[in-house]
Amino acid sequence: MEKFVALTASGIAYGAVLALVALGFIVLYKATGIINFAHGDLVGLGAYLAVWAVDDLNLPSVAGYLVALVLMAAVGVVMERIVRAPLRDKPVLVVVIATLAMAIVIRGLIALWQGSNPKTLVSPVGNRALHVAGAAVAQQRVVIVVVATLSIAGLVLLFQRTSFGRQVRALAADPDTAVLMGVRGTYVAMAAFALSAVFAGLAGILVAPLSAVDLNFGFSLMVTAFAVAVVGGFGSLGGVIVGALVIGLVQQLVGGYLWPEYAGLLPYILMFVVISLRPEGLIVVERSRL
Amino acid sequence: MTDATTPGAKPAPPTGDTPAAGPTGGGTAAPYAKRLRPGIYRRHHYLAVVVFVAATAVLAPMFAESRSTQFLVNLWLVYSITGIGFYWVFGLAGRFAFCQTFMMALGGYMGAWVAQSSLEGGFLVQVALAVVASAVVATVVGLLVRRAQAFYFAIATIAVAEMGRVFFSKAEWFTGMNGTRTGIPPIRLFGRDYIAEDEVFWIFLGGLALVLLLAAVIERSPLRRDGVAARDNALVAAVVGVPTGRAQLTLFVLGSAMGGLSGALMGPWTGTTGDTSFGIELAIGIFLMLLLGGIGSMWGPVVGAAFYVAVPDLLSGFDKYATIVYGALLLVTIILMPEGIVGGLGRLRLRLEGRWRRIRPKGAVDAVG
Repeated sequence: MEKFVALTASGIAYGAVLALVALGFIVLYKATGIINFAHGDLVGLGAYLAVWAVDDLNLPSVAGYLVALVLMAAVGVVMERIVRAPLRDKPVLVVVIATLAMAIVIRGLIALWQGSNPKTLVSPVGNRALHVAGAAVAQQRVVIVVVATLSIAGLVLLFQRTSFGRQVRALAADPDTAVLMGVRGTYVAMAAFALSAVFAGLAGILVAPLSAVDLNFGFSLMVTAFAVAVVGGFGSLGGVIVGALVIGLVQQLVGGYLWPEYAGLLPYILMFVVISLRPEGLIVVERSRL
Repeated sequence: MTDATTPGAKPAPPTGDTPAAGPTGGGTAAPYAKRLRPGIYRRHHYLAVVVFVAATAVLAPMFAESRSTQFLVNLWLVYSITGIGFYWVFGLAGRFAFCQTFMMALGGYMGAWVAQSSLEGGFLVQVALAVVASAVVATVVGLLVRRAQAFYFAIATIAVAEMGRVFFSKAEWFTGMNGTRTGIPPIRLFGRDYIAEDEVFWIFLGGLALVLLLAAVIERSPLRRDGVAARDNALVAAVVGVPTGRAQLTLFVLGSAMGGLSGALMGPWTGTTGDTSFGIELAIGIFLMLLLGGIGSMWGPVVGAAFYVAVPDLLSGFDKYATIVYGALLLVTIILMPEGIVGGLGRLRLRLEGRWRRIRPKGAVDAVG
């Protein structure tokens, strides 16, 4: 029972982080059509910025995290200027490859700035643990779930209730018509890049206290988030959240009980099977809707 | 995505006399037939391959005076092989595949396993089985995800690559201690060992020449046209009867087999095969080779591989800033030449030709055709 509770808790927390990562790149994909292969490195960059703000600027942890998130928004805008703005008349594929080059630049900058030794980020709740039904659950996992839930709720409100959200949804449904109707594509793209980078940074900051922060930190999260997007479908926010929880729980529970050595393989097997059987993802939405 | 080679691939525009007038006027029959041949047949693919191989055979040994330069030249040759394979998968069939490095690793391990297990196969057996193994795996993968389009295909192949990575690190009977095979015997062909860099060069050049010939065959074959049609508009292509699925699968299998081939060549050359040589850097690198060289031509990956191999070496003077300068250089190249180096040169040529045509009288152009 303790094992079950512990594995479920880490599965839900992992799923929440995956949902943040996946929503980050899906927002960008919906607003601009770009799959950002630098998203994983943005996750890592967020964690490194938080480490820097807390360790070198001696800020209290929550203030340091906020500084890191503000900087991530700026990074997102800069990235739009470098990667998308000069290439917006080119095929999307060229932009996608430019994001790959951007990933190399970001990784190189981090290596130069922070070195290649792994760093640790302290959590505001420290290493304390809750005891639920005899199982120790790190309080950081509770923090992850709470913060992720609040951020996702905020994102849903942003998309359903604000003008910005309507503009992104319009661009997702039909970019040409949306631009003709007066949606300012460039501003929305900049905002989407910023929002996407903030979500990536938030995911990095939340998960960093549970492990060491190194250069490859974000990459496996990004690839697993691709799996989430496949299982949940690219269409709906709800699908992404369900997909993230399914993948998180499957990896922890099935991996923890049946096949610990190969647990890391499960998301990939799952996504390969899903694509073989349902080549357009599990949840197919007729009209794209965020 | 438009095919960068289309300007040349189109039949010549009917300038001057109309084609319909051709057959009736006996004297113009020959130029008419000539004009009807698609442009692709007028480009001298085989001649270009021969010239390229001859030029490399003469120039590379002169250029590579040190052992490290010769190493880079050899690396360029094997990367060109995998790059041409990826050109078929990605450039022609439009399949966003992320498993080319997995195919290289599979080929490398297969070759090493054949050489070191009780089979004790010679070099040609190693290479043949490596090519077969990667082709078989690619066929299975390609059939399973044949209906997946664009990004879903990319994700499925990322999944394959990651599954392969975990498998290679666990299956020590196949991949050696900690996923690294060491002590692979050197290339032995026709009763002779090829150990030194400048000896291996000839084997690799021969391999690349064969792959280039195959590429030239494909370049002129219906397979290329079917793949491009499936890439540019799968729905319309399928409606007019193009076997889109078969073309994409064939190109994927052939391209993956070239990945296996280059992996199998690298093992006996360096003596080791490990998963670290086929990591994410190389996966991104293969994309860059194609994008930098140009996606619209079989020569794109060859030029791109040269760039990919040479530039980090040239940048080593920048020391710890090398990665950033490298990434920035890539960004600048992509922004300035989105069609790649070969594509950029092609556009330059078209522009120069256009100027030349404007100067010449109209009739003269027609005679040139």
